Amino acid sequence: MKFTLLLKKMLLSKFFVMGTAGVILITGLCLFYDVLLPFDPTLADYSVMLQNPDWFANGLNGHILGTDALGRDILTRLLKGGTYSLKLAFISVGVAAVIGCILGTFAGYYGKWLDMLIMRIADVQLTIPSLMLAIALVAILGPNEKNLIIVLIISGWAKFARIIRGNVMALRDSEFISASRVLGASDLWIMFKQIFPNVLTPTIIFASQQLGYVILVEASLSYLGLGIQPPNPSWGVMIANGRDYLQTAPWIVLAPGFTLSLAVLSFNFLGDGIRDVLDPKMK
Amino acid sequence: MRKFIMRRLFFSIFVLIGVSLIVFLIIYLAPGDPAQLILGDTATPEQIAQKRAELGLDQPMWKQYLIYIFGVLQGDLGTSLYYNMPCSTIILPMLWNTVILSFSSMLLALLIAIPLGVIAGTRPGSFSDFAATTFSMFGQACSSVWLGLALILIFSVKLGWLPAYGDISLSTLIMPSITLGTPMAALLVRIVRAGMIDTLSEDYILAARAKGEPEFRIVMRYAMKNVMLPVITIVGLNFGAFLGGAVVTEQIFSWNGVGRLMVSSIYSRDYPMVQSCLLLSSFLFVMVTLIVDILYTWVDPRVRLDSGRRKRKIRSMLNNSDVSKQELTVEKGA
Repeated sequence: MKFTLLLKKMLLSKFFVMGTAGVILITGLCLFYDVLLPFDPTLADYSVMLQNPDWFANGLNGHILGTDALGRDILTRLLKGGTYSLKLAFISVGVAAVIGCILGTFAGYYGKWLDMLIMRIADVQLTIPSLMLAIALVAILGPNEKNLIIVLIISGWAKFARIIRGNVMALRDSEFISASRVLGASDLWIMFKQIFPNVLTPTIIFASQQLGYVILVEASLSYLGLGIQPPNPSWGVMIANGRDYLQTAPWIVLAPGFTLSLAVLSFNFLGDGIRDVLDPKMK
Repeated sequence: MRKFIMRRLFFSIFVLIGVSLIVFLIIYLAPGDPAQLILGDTATPEQIAQKRAELGLDQPMWKQYLIYIFGVLQGDLGTSLYYNMPCSTIILPMLWNTVILSFSSMLLALLIAIPLGVIAGTRPGSFSDFAATTFSMFGQACSSVWLGLALILIFSVKLGWLPAYGDISLSTLIMPSITLGTPMAALLVRIVRAGMIDTLSEDYILAARAKGEPEFRIVMRYAMKNVMLPVITIVGLNFGAFLGGAVVTEQIFSWNGVGRLMVSSIYSRDYPMVQSCLLLSSFLFVMVTLIVDILYTWVDPRVRLDSGRRKRKIRSMLNNSDVSKQELTVEKGA
């Protein structure tokens, strides 16, 4: 009964339907690009340099979105690049959410000096512009996929901690928590069995909104040469590569640009949709 | 009110000390020996040891931090390894360029967002509301990375109206400002729209209507003041994202700002410069937040009387509006 109600709510939310459709479409295409398309995303082919997009004139075997300066198929690179973006986004937001949840719950529940310590660290960190912090950290750790994930986690946890803490603090003094305490429940049990389920909704909502943001950050870092390293494709790298051919071959920039916006838009819709479904009050 | 400002000032100083510690640690933990970097591969171990002593790198960490922080307080940000000059002489003019870019983008964002938001908020459900909301959604999904290049493609390459880069002037400022300001404008449209819808349903607006005040006057004079409160908050909160976005924008338009300097310093492994860029950007962000808070006391008389009520007021406004508090702190526009 509860599930059917949830399903009904999902179908009623335009944002949720559009967002889910977009995310599934993009994820699906990215995962199965090698089945759909015959090209290699990193192999140069000098016989077909800077070819115009031929859309679907040659079906899936043609260069649907054209080729870049090294004759690599844009669509193939786009989808391969998407796998990096999505993987990074899901892993880093997931881990940042877990760390932020744990620290935020502790800070909000215990209060006092622990709260002071955790939240002041978060305050200070949020004062450093996050993209700049990410750039500095990547520069020092070295640009590769693993470090990129670490950096995105470091610059992401504080926002989660702040949100969770506020919600936990609001719940801490409620009656059902006092009741548990009187019944002899341990702090850990109260925190993670009783309070946490109640703050799960804002966490999920924020995490889904955060996914789009992380994709943008990853693209910015890759554009600056501090993210995914060429010849591996990433939307940011592709945009940077296309810069020099803006006049003669604008599709090299426009294709990953549109895809990037489309992906972020889908995730933003999904975030708004999840909010509509789970917590209509927040609207 | 003085107490409120003093408290904010104290908090800002605390945050800045924390930022300096983090910034110091990032560079302290960075791999590679600065002495080796300066002297090159041909240096003998003795020369390196001597240089290390000269730079104070042989001191314990806490002492190095104290030396660093006292230097910063006296305006000494360290010596650039690449330019071989004090960091401050190089960074300050660039900081000014970044400030110009940030403020013109912010101004542009406000000039777009306020009219659009007001039009959408006063006629919810209409076509103009739909158009404004669509702009807001797409704008927030736009990355400066390709928005900038798309603008160059249209206005410089195809139409030849605006220069893609060059010395700072009004014509070179337009495209970077649009690039940096669009995501912010998109976010603000949402805030203004939600605030307008919210405020127009208040009792005092009803009273004004009953009195027969013209609608234009009600919107611009009575409702606008309340709508501006969350707008000011958002502008302050997102200024950090602005500085981050400026890194990419400056790179695209070859704008000589702190962001571009930071990226080039990273490539040349000029760590003191990276450190200074981070520190000064954070400083700028803290200052803007402080100014916003003080501005608040001026816009909202309630704060002057009771600073605690301000937070509650904002919280309740945000809870009732289209946008949640969480979203407000999300940094858009990277």
